[in-house]
Amino acid sequence: MDEQEHKAPALLAPSGSTRRSLLGTIAAGAAGATFFGPWKVNHAWAQSAQKKPLVIGLTMDASGQYAASGVEERLGAMMAIKEFNAKGGVLGRPIEALHIDTETTPATGSRVAERMITRNEAAFLIGGLHSGVANAISQVAQKYGCIYFNTNSSSPTESGKDCHRVKFVWDGNGTNFAEAIVKNAIKTNGRNWVLLTNDYVWGHQTAKATRALVEANGGKIVDELMIPQNTRDFASYLIKLQQIKPEVVATAVGGDDIKALRQQVVQLGLQKRMAWINNQQDWPDVYGLGPEQIFGVFGTTWYWMLDLPGVKEFVANYQKTYPGMAIQVPGNVYYNGYVATRELLRCVEEAGTTANIAVIKKLEGRRMTARDRMQAYDAWIDPATHQCQQTIYMATYNDQPKAKDDIFRILTQSEPKDVVDPEAPKNCKLESYEATPSYEM
Amino acid sequence: MTLLPHLVNGLALGLLFALIALGFMLVVSLMETINLAHGSFFALGMYIALVVIAPAADPGGVLAAYKALPLGARYMIALVLAPVAVGLVGMLLEVALRRTYGRDPLYGLLLTFGAALVLEEGLRAVFGSTEKQLAIPEGISGAFMLGDLIYSRYRLFACAFAALAIGLLWLFLEKTPYGSIIKAGAHDSEMVGALGINLSRLRLFVFALGVGLAGLAGVVMAPIWGIRPHVGIDAVVPAFLIIVLGGVGSFWGAVIAALLVGIVVGLSGAYASEWSLLSMYLLFIAVVTFRARGLFGKKSVLDA
Repeated sequence: MDEQEHKAPALLAPSGSTRRSLLGTIAAGAAGATFFGPWKVNHAWAQSAQKKPLVIGLTMDASGQYAASGVEERLGAMMAIKEFNAKGGVLGRPIEALHIDTETTPATGSRVAERMITRNEAAFLIGGLHSGVANAISQVAQKYGCIYFNTNSSSPTESGKDCHRVKFVWDGNGTNFAEAIVKNAIKTNGRNWVLLTNDYVWGHQTAKATRALVEANGGKIVDELMIPQNTRDFASYLIKLQQIKPEVVATAVGGDDIKALRQQVVQLGLQKRMAWINNQQDWPDVYGLGPEQIFGVFGTTWYWMLDLPGVKEFVANYQKTYPGMAIQVPGNVYYNGYVATRELLRCVEEAGTTANIAVIKKLEGRRMTARDRMQAYDAWIDPATHQCQQTIYMATYNDQPKAKDDIFRILTQSEPKDVVDPEAPKNCKLESYEATPSYEM
Repeated sequence: MTLLPHLVNGLALGLLFALIALGFMLVVSLMETINLAHGSFFALGMYIALVVIAPAADPGGVLAAYKALPLGARYMIALVLAPVAVGLVGMLLEVALRRTYGRDPLYGLLLTFGAALVLEEGLRAVFGSTEKQLAIPEGISGAFMLGDLIYSRYRLFACAFAALAIGLLWLFLEKTPYGSIIKAGAHDSEMVGALGINLSRLRLFVFALGVGLAGLAGVVMAPIWGIRPHVGIDAVVPAFLIIVLGGVGSFWGAVIAALLVGIVVGLSGAYASEWSLLSMYLLFIAVVTFRARGLFGKKSVLDA
């Protein structure tokens, strides 16, 4: 297992000095014990020892289908942690980030979560790209009562039937994106649709939402082709599409699979023969592709060239902190990792404790301004589903870039209330506070 | 008639699988070493081709004349240079492998597995995790329609190239004295040594040839699969499966197994898409249940 420990050097006292102050404290305590009894020793220890670091477990993929996104998400979370550590940590405690690779594999996700909670004493868990992995982590987190942030996985089930009291979902989900795009696409491109669906929970649920919306708006799903995860050769699917000749192809394909698919579609010129819609296009999966490969219309929650206050500084901070990165400007995955972690730490500060229920109550129903989140509209966390309701953008390739990497042209921006997933509150049954174990590290 | 394009596609896919499996087959058959780093050498071939075709850095402009060459010429250079470079790196691994010869096969497995991890992480450290693309020369890019079959020109080129590589390798092994020495070395190394042939050098050459073929497959597959550090796993798993399915040690067994896998994956992709990746494993289970040695399995190529 790939394991890396990231510490914020500025805030962690060198181990030597910690050890010396510890010895000094013990000596002082032992001397005091002669006069005041052992309880005073404990008091003296608590006064002089450095506060216990707050460990945040980062459960991001570093290998498998979502490895590239996992790196970006981790950098986003690390940036928020760095900023808090620069201000003295949270509740006076320095923050330590511990990352273990979840390998885009649900079983590994469970194992990592179990280990971080029971052995590493992680106060919170952050990170999720693959909905199966995020679901597995959240089951373990709920068992212990440890708050878990699913930062980037977008299956509607994450805030629907698989929701949990301890889990908060920060990305837009498949239904939000479908709500933003389907009606307009039927009007513009046609009624006959084929779904290309990654064969796992996110793909299934996103395709289900798309199907329902297409049919509700008078369209027809002619066929649905399931794409197993880690498919590299799409020729048989693309030949089939050529035979079916749909007007619209709606894909719910992510990670490395969408990269290979995009390349092969262009090789066949199929992007010119039918309209393509990708439910959500993560930045690391499209960064560096040529103009031809970035075809179709796709959804995102954030873009680095949004003309909004704070965006330029945010981008500059990324470039300054992480110079020489292959991805030279931040995208939606990094953004989600950052804003989610920042919000968690703010809530801990406001609650004045790391106790899970107190922090959960700060998060439920929390409203965040558009300015603060660098989006077009205010966002909020739905207390019934624990999903962050936020602006959904539709984009396409930008053929008139204003800068290098200005590859998206934003077509629309939908208000969160207009793209709400109506099924989520019906399917989500959050555990009660009483049924959620108390957890505090 | 809707079936025909998928059959043709399946056969094409099979040829590409055969190309991927060739080097693996060579090393397994002739050296009885399972090279788990095969996929990483495949990935290395992709990255070397990337550097050769579109060099990122050019301090002092010394490569200006080279960069001015047409893409097709640079692609041809990559097709030659990348396998040679990968073969040279493979030689280093072979030298490290020498201590494992004649011992429990697990040692060789572990060593090549470790090498795979090192190579993958090395690629990640140098090139980053993000997707890279290899530009295709204009003459072989784009698509063509043949009845109901839409197909990419590059894929057709890749299949033709795979068929050529298979044919040339077979000719080399069967019709040249070098091939005879290699096979003899696999069959009875002591006798070959007694005849004055340097066995160490022979093994070094065979291993370099095997991983060089992996690198060659990498160059050919790069425009289809895309380039990323962990792409090797997508190559080594089907290669392993194809060798066992065809029968370890059988050249044509591996080729036929690759074609079968291609057809099964191609047809399942079209008609039962959710089974397309699993289908090769189901085929494997079905065959191995009845023929544990695979379709044409013999102890070695020399049993033919």
